[in-house]
Amino acid sequence: MSDATSKPVIQVKDLYKYYSIGENRVKALNGVDFTINKGEFCSIVGTSGSGKSTLLNMLAGLEKPTKGQIIISGHHIERMSENKLVKFRREHVGFIFQSFNLLPTMNAVENVALPLSFRGIPKKVRLAKASKMLSMVGLKKQQFHKPTQMSGGQQQRVGVARALVVQPDIIFADEPTGNLDSNTSAEVMELMKKIVREQNLTLVMVTHDNHLASFADRIFHIKDGKLLKIEENNREETKNENEEI
Amino acid sequence: MSFLDLLSMSASNLWRRKLRTCLTILGVIIGTASIVVMLSLGFGLKKSYMSEIENSGELTTINVYSGGNNYYYDEDGQTSNTDNEITDEVIEQFSQLEHVDFVSPILSCNIIFRQGVYRNDSYVTAMTTEAMVKKKLELASGTIPTSDEEIRFIFGNSSVQDFYNYKTNSYPYWDTGELPEIDFEGDFFVIYDTEAFYNSEYGTDSDTPVKPPKKYITGNNCLVAGDVEAYNSFSYGVYTNIDALKKQLKKVFKNKAIPGQPTTKSGKPYSYWVYEQAYVQVDDFNYVSEVQKQISEMGFQANSNAEYVESTQKQFNTIQMALGGIGSVALFVAAISIANTMMMSIYERTKEIGIIKVLGCSLGNIRSLFLIEAAFIGFIGGFLGLILSYGLSYILNTFLGGALGNAMDMGGGGSSGISYIPLWLSALALVFAVLVGIIAGFLPAMRAMRLSPLSAIKTE
Repeated sequence: MSDATSKPVIQVKDLYKYYSIGENRVKALNGVDFTINKGEFCSIVGTSGSGKSTLLNMLAGLEKPTKGQIIISGHHIERMSENKLVKFRREHVGFIFQSFNLLPTMNAVENVALPLSFRGIPKKVRLAKASKMLSMVGLKKQQFHKPTQMSGGQQQRVGVARALVVQPDIIFADEPTGNLDSNTSAEVMELMKKIVREQNLTLVMVTHDNHLASFADRIFHIKDGKLLKIEENNREETKNENEEI
Repeated sequence: MSFLDLLSMSASNLWRRKLRTCLTILGVIIGTASIVVMLSLGFGLKKSYMSEIENSGELTTINVYSGGNNYYYDEDGQTSNTDNEITDEVIEQFSQLEHVDFVSPILSCNIIFRQGVYRNDSYVTAMTTEAMVKKKLELASGTIPTSDEEIRFIFGNSSVQDFYNYKTNSYPYWDTGELPEIDFEGDFFVIYDTEAFYNSEYGTDSDTPVKPPKKYITGNNCLVAGDVEAYNSFSYGVYTNIDALKKQLKKVFKNKAIPGQPTTKSGKPYSYWVYEQAYVQVDDFNYVSEVQKQISEMGFQANSNAEYVESTQKQFNTIQMALGGIGSVALFVAAISIANTMMMSIYERTKEIGIIKVLGCSLGNIRSLFLIEAAFIGFIGGFLGLILSYGLSYILNTFLGGALGNAMDMGGGGSSGISYIPLWLSALALVFAVLVGIIAGFLPAMRAMRLSPLSAIKTE
């Protein structure tokens, strides 16, 4: 792979996050450093309470770190105001939720087109794009179904389409298969992997399931707020860059 | 997000909660209608009052009297300040003033009318034909006398009360309630030299009998329209054309002094006419005070209804404010219910707001979404409230207007309703309802904007 593709998209330097619960100080993240390159599929694995969700929230700009730096596509997001963070997410980030989080009043194609409407794209254009995206995830027939008329797997495919439609630099996925059975999980994982590969996207996925994590190129093991190890996963092309363990 | 997208998203959110939206809108409908109807009562009052005064032509009339405040007598009993007499020259000056429509001098004198056994010792008011037309004099028959013809008189529709039977020495109208039979269009004996008449009739202090004055016969007189009880500004008294009267008086008194006209020390009349009063008609009510001030500054005493009408208007405004205040309580309650509805909707949609925030919906757009929803409630409520107001106003006017209107009128027969909604009030009410919605929705919208996007990620 060329150097251009291995440009770092996410750089995390010395990241800390403390929560104050009553008198106690909980160290959710306790000094984390890593770099993720463009086109990589990374998963963050850890048990409940390990700090993996906190890490993802901070990467997506949903929470502010106590200390440290997060640089995404050259932007220091730890310093951004909420308004700028929203704008940043609108322009650079796609998000896949565990509980799908489709708007119940809208049908599939409208749900997929929603993030485009936040960019001010005219209705006709965004519906066409959304429809195309739905055919890509194999839901052409169901595009006018409401979320309640679809199975979990179908709903999550809509979720994937919604994350992809904005052509983001990075996609964050928070336990994307947490609400699905194992067969559907595998299908969705394969789908995500395929699209990431085809479109050279960067995907960061949080999961507690080691098996699902193994779909990724690199697996970040996290425990008690510290990065335990980074596991390379049968991809020779991926370069290692000064990762600390 | 484009404005159209915001609109359709807000509308669909409202539609999703139909019942609650309808109930909130109902509150706004009642609030708007209560304010508008209350205010319309005030406007109705004001309007019927103004139209009544306008009909009498007295709203824009200034009555000018000679003298004014600096009219006084010197030590030797002579009236000084003769400059302040109202002469034809002064009339001309008045008519040169800005906003003055026309000016009519007023000449009054005692004249006795006789027909059959009935006599009317009257005080005749003479003015120009134009003044009579502009002051909306309406005749039962015939035409208004002009300067070019022989003198004719107009009798007020109530003046029949003033005729008395000089044989029995009684007033038929006041004593028996019967109207004397007088043919107002027929001929009258007219006596201009009343002093000589009284002296000949009732005698003088000296024993020499006085020769009765000459009687003139005048026909073709006319009567003011309306029955005896009806009131208008020409109801009482007798009127005529000023030029015809002047001609007639000159003919009657020849070289003698005309009663009421000032004389020189030797008792000789002046060569010009002096009027004790003049009507100055102003083209618009708003300039009445201004013109009145100018005339006062010229040294004349000027009266108009302006002050009185203005103070009455102020009174009506106070009443209207009080009514509007009562009405606004309902709208205030409606505003609270809008805020409450919006608040509820935000609690329900916390997760949804989080999701769109994660997906990159800007904070401003989120605020706009909720403000537009609140404004929608205000707009729909305001619009339906207006329709309700017009309906209520119509009902008030048809079923209550007659009874109440008659009680308030002074018998003028003005049938303008008690409730009146000016077009600008309905426009204002609509804007106000929308504003109330936006203000009520402001806090909830700010709250929605500040909700944490994290709530979207939390699994229920």
